[in-house]
Amino acid sequence: MSESIDRDLTLSVNSIAYPVSVATDRNLLSVLRGEIGLTGTKEGCDDCECGACMVLLDGQPVNSCSYLAAQAVGREITTIEGVMSGNELHPLQRNLLDEGGVQCGFCTPGMIMSATALLSRTPAPTDEEIRIGLSGNLCRCTGYAKIIAAVRRTAAEIHP
Amino acid sequence: MSLLIATTLDDALAALAAGARPIAGGSDLVVGARHGKAPLPGSLVALDRIEQLRQVHEVGGAGAGGAGGGLVLGAGVTHHDIETHPVIAARFSGLADASALVGSPSTRNVGTIGGNVMNGSPAMDTGAPLMVLGATVELRSTTGSRTVAISELWTAPGRTIARADELCTAIHLPAPGPRSGSAYVRLEYRRAMEIAVVGAGASVTLDADGNIAAIAVALTAVAPTIISVSGLASLLGSSVADAAAAAGALASEQARPISDLRASDRYRRHCIGVMARRAVEAAARRASGETIAIPVNRTIGIGTAATSTAATSTAATGASS
Amino acid sequence: MTVTEPHPTTDAPRPKQRFVRADGPDKVTGSGRYTADLSLTGVLAAKFRYAGISHGRITRVDVSAARAIPGVMCVITHQDVPDLRFGPFVQDRTLFAHDIVRFEGEIIAAVAATTAEIAQRAVDAIVVEFEPMPVVTDLEAALGSDAPLVHSGWEAYGSADVVVRDRNDASFSSIVKGDVAAAMATADTVVTSRYVADGCHAAPIEPRAVLAQWEGDKVTIWTSTQVPFDARAGVCETLELPANRVRIIVPHLGGGFGGKCGFHYEAHIAALARVAKRPVRLVFSRREEFLAPDRRREGMIIDITTGVRRDGTIVARSGWIAIDNGAYTADAGFFPQLAAMHVAGPYKIPNVQIEAHLVYTNHQPSGSVRAPTAPQACWALESHTDEVAKAVGMDPVAFRKLNAVDTGAEGPSGQTYDEIGLQRCIDAATSNAGYGQELPDDEAIGVAIGWWPSFSVPSGAYLKIDGDGSAQIITGAQECGTGAVMTLRQLAADELGMDPEDFQLVYQDTSVAPYDMGATGSQTLFNNGRAVVNAAGQVADQLRKLAAERLEASPEDIVLSNGQAFVAGTPATAVSIAELAGIAAGGELLIGHGSGQPPGPPPLVGSTCVGDLGMAAFVAPQFSCHAVRVKLDRDTGVARVIAVNTAHDSGTIINEIGAHGQVEGGVLMGIGQALTEGTTYDAEGKQRNAAMLEYKLQTCADAPPIHTHFVQIATPDAGPRGAKGLAEAPNVATAAAISNAIAKIVGRPVRQLPMTAERVWDALNDEAAS
Repeated sequence: MSESIDRDLTLSVNSIAYPVSVATDRNLLSVLRGEIGLTGTKEGCDDCECGACMVLLDGQPVNSCSYLAAQAVGREITTIEGVMSGNELHPLQRNLLDEGGVQCGFCTPGMIMSATALLSRTPAPTDEEIRIGLSGNLCRCTGYAKIIAAVRRTAAEIHP
Repeated sequence: MSLLIATTLDDALAALAAGARPIAGGSDLVVGARHGKAPLPGSLVALDRIEQLRQVHEVGGAGAGGAGGGLVLGAGVTHHDIETHPVIAARFSGLADASALVGSPSTRNVGTIGGNVMNGSPAMDTGAPLMVLGATVELRSTTGSRTVAISELWTAPGRTIARADELCTAIHLPAPGPRSGSAYVRLEYRRAMEIAVVGAGASVTLDADGNIAAIAVALTAVAPTIISVSGLASLLGSSVADAAAAAGALASEQARPISDLRASDRYRRHCIGVMARRAVEAAARRASGETIAIPVNRTIGIGTAATSTAATSTAATGASS
Repeated sequence: MTVTEPHPTTDAPRPKQRFVRADGPDKVTGSGRYTADLSLTGVLAAKFRYAGISHGRITRVDVSAARAIPGVMCVITHQDVPDLRFGPFVQDRTLFAHDIVRFEGEIIAAVAATTAEIAQRAVDAIVVEFEPMPVVTDLEAALGSDAPLVHSGWEAYGSADVVVRDRNDASFSSIVKGDVAAAMATADTVVTSRYVADGCHAAPIEPRAVLAQWEGDKVTIWTSTQVPFDARAGVCETLELPANRVRIIVPHLGGGFGGKCGFHYEAHIAALARVAKRPVRLVFSRREEFLAPDRRREGMIIDITTGVRRDGTIVARSGWIAIDNGAYTADAGFFPQLAAMHVAGPYKIPNVQIEAHLVYTNHQPSGSVRAPTAPQACWALESHTDEVAKAVGMDPVAFRKLNAVDTGAEGPSGQTYDEIGLQRCIDAATSNAGYGQELPDDEAIGVAIGWWPSFSVPSGAYLKIDGDGSAQIITGAQECGTGAVMTLRQLAADELGMDPEDFQLVYQDTSVAPYDMGATGSQTLFNNGRAVVNAAGQVADQLRKLAAERLEASPEDIVLSNGQAFVAGTPATAVSIAELAGIAAGGELLIGHGSGQPPGPPPLVGSTCVGDLGMAAFVAPQFSCHAVRVKLDRDTGVARVIAVNTAHDSGTIINEIGAHGQVEGGVLMGIGQALTEGTTYDAEGKQRNAAMLEYKLQTCADAPPIHTHFVQIATPDAGPRGAKGLAEAPNVATAAAISNAIAKIVGRPVRQLPMTAERVWDALNDEAAS
């Protein structure tokens, strides 16, 4: 059924339902960081150009700065806060630390979301597929080398 | 503002008739509103959950010889769907080339072919390949539907002939003949996250001798809308190399580029010739049966990947001067 | 990617300790808070009203309509803050514009309102009228005696004693050694070049944010600064407050690259919060991040003339440099001297005469972005060096080997070097790159060398071990992502025989820790490392004393290792450090403090420097050589970097994984500067490309493999264990090496930076040019 959304809506984030009351022109990023209080997702450009705001929507990567919160109703939103399983780091998180792929860390949440989406679509990516898969996430610190290494290592661990 | 999440085409068309604006992936509208281009309209209708708009299907003679039929792309098909669709990659390659170059994986995930086409930007990547593939666009409203050639769709930057209550529901691509191929290449300064500085789409059909039997070329970001190169009929029967060179020269001649941040008009005019030549060459290689990976931009010329073997092999050489 | 075989990546064995970032789990889980992630009860949103024009006299400011908007809690202008000018080199700046605005991002008023949207509406409702003034954008014209002045009152401004100023020349410096005119006359070949570099941006991914809250007469400011103590000093100076009533706390910092050095908006937000009597938060948009801060990388014009003998020996060099200061001097006062050193370069040159001017314009102010002046000056010098080598018919690498400084040699400003590794850097980078091999005709390997000083400044830290044996390093140092602060744990652990993960860091809080200059000048490990080693040494002495009592031995014989203390030779009878800490907790607590004596400047012989700000002598100089393989699309001028080999002498490498990360990040930033990153201005001096789509950082898809070799030379009078700085050095030579590769393919250099595709294409078509 088509659904008309006015102000009150419920968003499912990391498998938790959050009722919020927001104007329907609000973007998903501001609602995640504001009303819902999950600040792991970052704002770097407001323009779909940096990828710091990347979240998964039904498993697929979306720039939350340019997506209406209301449009995410009925879909499952995954943010960086939903990546760990219990108290265990996701292999991507662990490998980013072990390989030295984290410096200032501001791009890291978005990078992890894009890498997660990449590995679910392409479980054994080539280096070129990793480069393209992460190309929507700007990092100013690392030169990407150690991030690529972490994704490569994660892929090898998951699908040896 | 109110938002209708439509699940049926009829609901969407009714909302449009009542004055709502359509939103698919949303990036153009939402980013535009936040940057003060235009405020979000008071009423929006979201199209991304209308299953009917998300279908790709082949029509007509999927017959013997593997020639295959034409294609109907729902307007809600995403760039990601297109770049990974085996039939599009194999037979409508130029379109796959273009969709694979749009933005980043996330923008390709939400951005749709309908949104791209109806946004009417002269720098859109899918416009030129759709033009050379002879696409037609289906526009529907509560009062009826019509089909227009894509070459007649755009009237000015950001403008189309569609009425406010009309929705682009599908794009039809006729079956390419045997020994046909298409390609889209663009000038870009980075290998991702780019907008075409200029771009060219080409489709080529070869005769039994490997010469040009049919050719079409369209150009991106050198005029107020995507334009098609005229005067190509004289190239029929000529060799691919000659046709590519001539198409490049015609493209440079017919381009009406502007100077802006991304390039000067004279540089655009020069580069559109290069892009047109390369698009024809790549389309002809595909027409001859060669498989070139999608997007062709990353396999020829400037977009080639920096491979790790470059460093390894040089390191192994180890010679100092 | 780092290719590690078949060549070793370093001259020394890997350190035994794995590097684990103390802030790593915060950053990969999203639980780490950055300034914009913080909020406080009752917080208001701040927005600024900017000039929007590059030069004009304010004829009217009316904030009454803005103040009347419901939800607006206060609007402030220059009338609401002390009337004073500030600036570290030239006091040419005010918090809010008074009569005249001098660049588009200058702040006229600030608003605090209940929401950001209301604050923006209020900003838009402020009426400002200007009488336009002539816009100064051309560096050479600005130095003319009849040029319009950017600061008509420049003579009355206070400034640091050694800063030499004249009209639009905000800081002049020269290096003179020997007799250039006479020596040029003896040269067999003289080559003159002009290179012009556009300005560019640090562009950290985190836009800056500030949150301020007053309690009584004390203010706490959470801010995204690289230099918390500098930020505090700025607040104290401009709001006339004592240091002990201003507390600066930096949450996690999302990158800086110099762009977040200096004192920015902390005082504006504190002033708003004081008037509004509520906490106030500022969060920049990306566009503001491009337009407003006084920390973009400076545009430059560089003229270089080099005289050389037939055998390739350099006999003389002269240079003239104009640096775009922008509208205010920020920390750019020392740029002329640093630029002069980089145009002189790490070469043995007996006769040198270089002049450098810091020129006021109506552009955004310049400031210390990662290795200020160096990438542009190195790009110009090293491109010129290839021209000189070509003119005398020498291979450019052989030319550099012949003329570059080495251990015991005298540099261009008269400094004689102890053991340095530049020659070994050239050998390693070129050898690893396969320099000299046959390449396709659209590819070439370009080579460039660079240098950079280590900055020797005071710095402090405390260290304590609590009763349960867990330890804390309490440091004034600031972590901006490099890992320099994280590495302090390794140094402390080594001194105390503990594990790095036994230490938590308490940092980025000016009211808790002793002074440190901040994440600037690649100085953290160099200076704060020394302080932490000293502090840990004091605690180690206490532990040895306690262990000696327990084990009935002499403190000198006690070894601290693996979390235990034992008498040398008898590890079987050990006492744990935790147990000793428990004993100490009942008596003399385990507390150490360190500040370490910074090494003094090396002597200079035979040169004179006007406007000497101490940059003509390099403490613990760092050296590098980059060899970059480039592929060029001759039809379009698009260049792509396909492999990078670097070699760096940054002294001892303490944290190898972090060090590689610094080089890789610096190289990629250098590639951006070389090819796609440059600010373009309109005729009115306003930025045209203040957005990520039009100001193009390199993406992951563009990143080439980067191979790094560290030439490790333990340097006396350097940082801990002979370490030098590292964060800026990798940013110096990349653009230069790319330039030389492009010039080889094109047949002539591209004389503008960035070397955009269109500029390369112009050079390809410019048969008339040399």
